[in-house]
Amino acid sequence: MKMKILRRCTAFFLILGVLLWACSVWTDRLAEDMADSVPGRNHTVAKISAEPENTVDLLILGDSESHTSMSPMELWGESGVSAYVCGQSGQRIQETYYMLKKALQTQSPKAVILETNVMFRDPGFFRNLQTCFAEPLRYYMPVFRYHSLWKMIFDGQKNTEDDYKGFMIRNAVDPCDGEEYMKETTERQEIPEFARIYMEKITELCRKNDISLVLMSAPSPKNYNYRKHNALQEYADAQGLPYIDLNLKTKEIGIDWKQDSYDKGDHLNVYGAQKVTAYMGKYLKENYDLPDHRGDPKYADWDQMEKKYREKLNL
Amino acid sequence: MEELMEILREIDDSIDYEKETALIDSQLLDSFGVITLVAELEENFDITIEAAEMVPENFNSAEAIWKMIQRLQEN
Amino acid sequence: MAYNASLYIFIFLPICLAVYQMTPEKHRWKVLLGFSWLFFYMISGKLIVYLLGTTLLTHYIGIWLTWLKTREQMEIGNADRMQKKEIKKKYQKKRRAVLFLGVLILLSVLACLKYYNFFVHNTEMILDRFSLAFPLETRQVMMPIGISFYTLQAIAYMADVYWGKIQAEENPGRMALFLGFFPQIMEGPICRYSDTAESLYQGKSLRYENISDGYVRIFWGLFKKKIVADRLAAPVGVIFGHYTQYHGAVVAAAAVAYTVQLYMEFSGCMDIVIGSGKLFGISLPENFRQPFCARNASEFWRRWHITLGTWFKTYIFYPVSVSGPVKRWNQYGRKHAGKYVTNLVTSALALFPVWLCNGLWHGAKWSYIFYGMYYFTLILLGTAVKPVRERILQACHIREDAPYWRVLQIGKTWVIIFTGELFFRADGFRAGLHMFRSIFRGFDIRQFWDGTLLGFGMGRADLIAVAAGCIVVAVVGSVSERKGNVIGRLGKVRTPLRWCAYYALILAVFLFAAYGDGYQAVDLIYAGF
Repeated sequence: MKMKILRRCTAFFLILGVLLWACSVWTDRLAEDMADSVPGRNHTVAKISAEPENTVDLLILGDSESHTSMSPMELWGESGVSAYVCGQSGQRIQETYYMLKKALQTQSPKAVILETNVMFRDPGFFRNLQTCFAEPLRYYMPVFRYHSLWKMIFDGQKNTEDDYKGFMIRNAVDPCDGEEYMKETTERQEIPEFARIYMEKITELCRKNDISLVLMSAPSPKNYNYRKHNALQEYADAQGLPYIDLNLKTKEIGIDWKQDSYDKGDHLNVYGAQKVTAYMGKYLKENYDLPDHRGDPKYADWDQMEKKYREKLNL
Repeated sequence: MEELMEILREIDDSIDYEKETALIDSQLLDSFGVITLVAELEENFDITIEAAEMVPENFNSAEAIWKMIQRLQEN
Repeated sequence: MAYNASLYIFIFLPICLAVYQMTPEKHRWKVLLGFSWLFFYMISGKLIVYLLGTTLLTHYIGIWLTWLKTREQMEIGNADRMQKKEIKKKYQKKRRAVLFLGVLILLSVLACLKYYNFFVHNTEMILDRFSLAFPLETRQVMMPIGISFYTLQAIAYMADVYWGKIQAEENPGRMALFLGFFPQIMEGPICRYSDTAESLYQGKSLRYENISDGYVRIFWGLFKKKIVADRLAAPVGVIFGHYTQYHGAVVAAAAVAYTVQLYMEFSGCMDIVIGSGKLFGISLPENFRQPFCARNASEFWRRWHITLGTWFKTYIFYPVSVSGPVKRWNQYGRKHAGKYVTNLVTSALALFPVWLCNGLWHGAKWSYIFYGMYYFTLILLGTAVKPVRERILQACHIREDAPYWRVLQIGKTWVIIFTGELFFRADGFRAGLHMFRSIFRGFDIRQFWDGTLLGFGMGRADLIAVAAGCIVVAVVGSVSERKGNVIGRLGKVRTPLRWCAYYALILAVFLFAAYGDGYQAVDLIYAGF
């Protein structure tokens, strides 16, 4: 009797698994095909999987701080490095990990820049636990990520706002007073436990794939202070990871808080991003060996995209 | 018993009280029917029906009602 | 962690099931109790003291009532006939006092938490007319989850012990489980001690059939809540939130949409709750029976939130209708006013407190009181016109069970329901009245299909999902109405067909539910009452 029940259960879940897997394969392909019109935060996931295989050498991960501070087109124009920003607004550390895993399915980047603001996001124990289960589910069974795509049959496809390898042009200016926010202290803000666990997984994943991982804090008076700096510096030292806190280098980079933020010092606008990207480009050139793809026929569309980007900028 | 039947028929004469055993459970007698019935029973049989007696089991069939009446008359 | 959260369905429940099964039969009820308190604590935190307090009080009152009963019996044992009556009377009085004490304490706690602000606010307004100041101020009160539900269960328990219908529970732990069992703590069903206590303590072993039936019921609930109700939450919120901007068909559609949302949500949640109980082999009472098949308002309430209706009937309607004053009126009326008037007034006397309490139970708002009075009036009217109605039907040769007549009646009842829910949802009685009036201003029936209704945060695809979901629920409902609960009997269908049904249900929920990116999780409505 018990054996019979066991057999039936196994059969039932096996068939269910096959059905879900079939749906997953289908939705995943669908999402890739119309990546431009996948809405919301899944947009980034669909777009990175739609990139031609093994073309991206530098991945940038993180929350909105990442996709407002690094502009791949600037980097391309400057040094021909092919970079892609996989940042999402309010990204959680679990999402960061699976975003990297997703990208590694088709890409083999040489370096990853992780914007550190994700490491301090703590939505509480239960939310964290839920995300710990939900994210792998979405990764292994994309049907749970893209299940709402059927709606396009009735609502039609709408392309989302143009992005340039994950970067969106925000040229509004809403200044902040630029008061000194990095006051030196010895205190530090704890990095939440879940972030530590997933950072370890991210580090391990990079090591396994021979990827250099760099921690970076984008300039943001609203999100950073010296207590976070201390925590991150300590963490990076312990893990042997390079850490660049741009909040301590705003003068060197040339950030002008009257010009370079679009929301009172929460995020950088495109002018701020240009300065940060220029600085980071120099840093990468000095420390890492990232190839210059300019002129490579495989990358012709990058040149075109840069042209479009410049046009849009000068409007 | 005959007196009871008459009272019941007066409340609703479309029900076969001889056979029906789920007057309450199948909603044949609604709550207004029940309180009318209680008033009639109290007057005709000189009994007091208290809140504790107001359970479906006591009103589901003519026989159950009759049993309740007898029990209350004994007290 | 609400019942519709994946955390509850896919993590909390399985862990609880596993621990339950691994524990020896005798101690399994303790596992349920532990998880129930954990569940409560996860939602309401420290407010769990209210639940614990209620548990202890209810337990104590039960014991006290039994103790008085034994004392009475002892004294009666060695007394003569005359003394017996005296003793009975004395103890009757004592027991009644104990019951009142218990009920009073429970209701005061409920009143302080739920009605305090309402009381203060309205007294202030009245005193303000006379330019007087009121010393009390409104304040933010934190309500423990489910207080409106477990308080009713506690009162019912005390009354049942008082009436001698049940034996008092001696073990406070078991009492705690009866009151706090986690599936029903948030939204009911309001259980009677005689319904669930027995099976809660039994610690039956898990069974394959129970688990599969239970999870099917849970998925059916998710189907209703996540495919239909959650999609309607946005447009309903927009129209009720900015009601002054809309009129005509839009407001009418909002009333219908809210009714559908409320039904799908509440009955869907009940499916999850009853399914959760079923996993452990515990049958919780049903709370809905195809309410939209009702032919009049009173039948609607026998099919909608059944356990609340039954509670009011058992613990308010009948006790009031056999209480001293009402009986005296009955005797007086029969002599002087005729049967028709007497019965009508008796009904009104017994019905009024029921519907006042029904309104108030939902919350301290005038619109809820109006909602209660609305149904009071309608149901009383129904009884009042009954003789006339029957005569007219006879004269016109209309058979009660003719299909067309049935459809007409159901249609009429729908209008009654939609109107009621409009006032129920509206932000205050004045807003409700405004909305109701605005329906008749510039009503354009074409707005139902010309796309006007798409402009409220719900796209064409969402609307189609809602419509399809409603059709499935309606078909299942109408088959259930004629042949008995479809979902419950799915487990008895032959395997290939049954599995197909399971897969269809599971995939429908996973693919078409409103979850993930682009949707906000919607809180349970009834958990707020």
